[in-house]
Amino acid sequence: MTYDFLIIGGGITGAAIARELTKYEAKTILLEKENDAGNHATSANSAIIHSGHDPMPGSLKALLNVEGNKLYDVLEEELDIPLFKNGAFMVAHNDEEEKVLEKYLGRAKENGVPGVKILDAKTARQLEPNLVDSVSKVLSLPTTKVTYPWEVAIAMIENAMDNGLVFAKKKEVNIIYREDNVFTVKTRDGSTYKSRYVINAAGAYAARVAALSEEAVPYRITPRKGEYFVLDRRVQGFLSRTLYPTPSEKGKGILMVPQYHGNILIGPNSVYQDSPDDVSTSKAGLSSVKAGAELLTKNIPYHKNIRTFAGVRASSTHGDFYIRESLQKENFIHVAGIDSPGLSAAPAIGRYVVEAIIMKKESLKPNEAFNPIRKHVKLFDDMSESEKEEAFKMDNRYGNLVCKCERITEGDIVRHIQRNVPGDTIKGVKKRSRAGAGLCQGGYCEHQVMKLIARELGKDVTEVDYFSNHSNILKEETKVKK
Amino acid sequence: MKPYDIVIIGGGAGGVAALKSAYDESLRILLIERDKTLGGILKQCIHNGFGLHHYKEELTGPEYAERGIREIEGLGADVLVDTTVMDVNKENGRFSINVINTDKGAFTLESKAVILSSGCYERTSGAIQLPGDRPAGIMPAGSAQRYLNIDGYLVGRKVFILGSGDIGLIMARRMRLEGADVLGVAELMPHSNGLTRNIVQCLHDFDIPLYLSHTVTDIRGESVLEGITISEVDEQFNAIEGSEKHFEVDTLLLSVGLIPDIGMFDSLKFDISPKTNGAIVDHTYQTSIEGLFACGNALHVHDLVDFVTEEATKAGKQAKDYILKNKKRSHNTIDLTPKGNISYLLPQKLDMGDAFEEVTVSFRTTTNAMTGKFHVYQGDTLLFTKKAKFIVPAEMEKLTIKRDQLINKDPINIEFEVINV
Repeated sequence: MTYDFLIIGGGITGAAIARELTKYEAKTILLEKENDAGNHATSANSAIIHSGHDPMPGSLKALLNVEGNKLYDVLEEELDIPLFKNGAFMVAHNDEEEKVLEKYLGRAKENGVPGVKILDAKTARQLEPNLVDSVSKVLSLPTTKVTYPWEVAIAMIENAMDNGLVFAKKKEVNIIYREDNVFTVKTRDGSTYKSRYVINAAGAYAARVAALSEEAVPYRITPRKGEYFVLDRRVQGFLSRTLYPTPSEKGKGILMVPQYHGNILIGPNSVYQDSPDDVSTSKAGLSSVKAGAELLTKNIPYHKNIRTFAGVRASSTHGDFYIRESLQKENFIHVAGIDSPGLSAAPAIGRYVVEAIIMKKESLKPNEAFNPIRKHVKLFDDMSESEKEEAFKMDNRYGNLVCKCERITEGDIVRHIQRNVPGDTIKGVKKRSRAGAGLCQGGYCEHQVMKLIARELGKDVTEVDYFSNHSNILKEETKVKK
Repeated sequence: MKPYDIVIIGGGAGGVAALKSAYDESLRILLIERDKTLGGILKQCIHNGFGLHHYKEELTGPEYAERGIREIEGLGADVLVDTTVMDVNKENGRFSINVINTDKGAFTLESKAVILSSGCYERTSGAIQLPGDRPAGIMPAGSAQRYLNIDGYLVGRKVFILGSGDIGLIMARRMRLEGADVLGVAELMPHSNGLTRNIVQCLHDFDIPLYLSHTVTDIRGESVLEGITISEVDEQFNAIEGSEKHFEVDTLLLSVGLIPDIGMFDSLKFDISPKTNGAIVDHTYQTSIEGLFACGNALHVHDLVDFVTEEATKAGKQAKDYILKNKKRSHNTIDLTPKGNISYLLPQKLDMGDAFEEVTVSFRTTTNAMTGKFHVYQGDTLLFTKKAKFIVPAEMEKLTIKRDQLINKDPINIEFEVINV
């Protein structure tokens, strides 16, 4: 069969485009090379839905960021995603930086960001008592929010699947050609797909994918790594709003970002590198993150640090988002250079690709059966007393606490394993349910999660991956006759 | 439901010993254990070396656990296994304990006193900010021990170990016996963090090198671990350039510290020692919250289970007296604090309102010494000195202070003087 649309890349961008396309009568397939959706930049970023104060007015980034920010409120209703509407401060310490605040106030207004204003230090400190003493003024950005990025990507894909999307993972595209107006797309495992359109949303790998189809790719991806600290959720209360320093030429700088579940992220720095795969952390990098955060708050509780990580921004030589049909191959659509504010813009990118590019070429009929609603899997710990009683009566596995740090039960985990896009790896379960995301980082629950995945999916425990393909933790059974 | 007199949280060596000593026919006591059986971490410690102090014979971990469990069988106390404590609160002098199990779901128990004996958890790669990639194949040594000894699976065949804590040393030998190559153990400090006997029996006897003043400075492997780099460190623990050694391994086990597991106390806050990461207690093992006792690895990390049993026995007895004798704590306290070359000591307070005659202080030094002296001061006055031999930070030291040795209300300090390194 021939698909109408084939999307390459199951990150937040591909997920948003896929969901948007299922609003129309079309056959759409989404290919992901990893064993889960959103395993790269979508899983390793600041989780901020920026207000739109930062991009240059008139840029695609400015347009789609501000629109995307508003669309997250719609997604909260439709897809039941976590959204923490905490606002943000950009902090200044002296006259020079106060001028920068004025500049961003103007830029925010020009970009159509609502509610922005400059507050004096006293007012700011009443709202955020842990701000460093040297803060002189702040730019308040009340529409800044925080989400749980991979859950958004997965929710979009799941909702799209409910509306007809085909989602295939472990499909790494290695051949693309077009004959008789139809693309043939082949993957490393030997599968072949036919589609009228190809949409390249491959993130840090976008230029590589594009090079499979066209000779002169009009951009290069310049992967830019960012390192982070993750503080335990028990630091909740230390900080309410996201804090930005005044931006420099290098970018937005080191941020402090309170997360939906109470954790605080500190980072990212900005390191250009050749490889899109290198997500290593370094002592020097993390030291630079610490130095940056010293401009924001005092007495940062680093003793509550539970993890460090790094992610790679899919920056491109184009600077702005590169979203347009290929000039060389008709019906090949580039969605590349999606670095910050990519997460914020994602829902708007999805719309833009469909409405501003595809609909100019196609007259797609609306999918009358499209159901925009998806309910998230409610955790036992988040239920009311009566809901808990009801849930336990239906399934006593809610009574088996598996992750003691984040209070996740067997009942919760089983439901996340059984989702449309299943949590079938240790990290897949962690991303969805937060089992293993606490103080002991899975030291207590990892073996139980592994056994639950094996039981539910009929696998051997040695076949359960930790994160990426072929990353099984257990290598061999010891007490067997060979 | 009628409230309990004492609820004990955690049924490992500490909880079992606390139950035994707290038990009285007139008391309603409950022991709660989250695993399916009692015994705690001992169940996966299948090596021997347990019980030399307490039972005067050498036992394996499961044997030691079994002894304790048999000693409480037949007492009238309630035991709830497969049940996890979610949260503890205190109102109007009563503790309410939120628990969960597959029998009854989530429910609440009440108690007049609580003994916290919930053990400890392993410090993680994230907590020590291990640099490099984050592939599969890096895990706390205790997790690998569980996979191997309880589940019967090997986590890798080429192993390196970071940290010379006892679990790391034990697992070096255990992985070797199972046929894995164990290429070495790196320890950040200039001295080992494990018991001397474990260095000898687990490393020397198997020709496994121990790299003192070394740490892991790089990890390679996108999906699974492919290799690590270790470097020597200077006195400020900074890596020395040029000292790098590379190892191709598929497994890196971490034995970089244990932390009291008191995460179920999200709402009921008690004073925590930044040194032990456990509660600050007085000589009755009572925390800053009256009626809440703590012992075992949930209080501070012990090197021998025998000492856990000893401490929990005292805590259990104190909890029993608290209920039976209706003991109230006084505000008449004397602080105990570590001075030179002592990393931490316990208890941190003496409740002078209690009619004790003597108190045993447990402590760890910060340095090694062949010979040395422990000086006990009250304020600036030296109360007494005790000679010591073969002192290592990994082994807990003890001394006894008699009540009639005290001269005033000033804080008591213990200092370690190194005579011969």
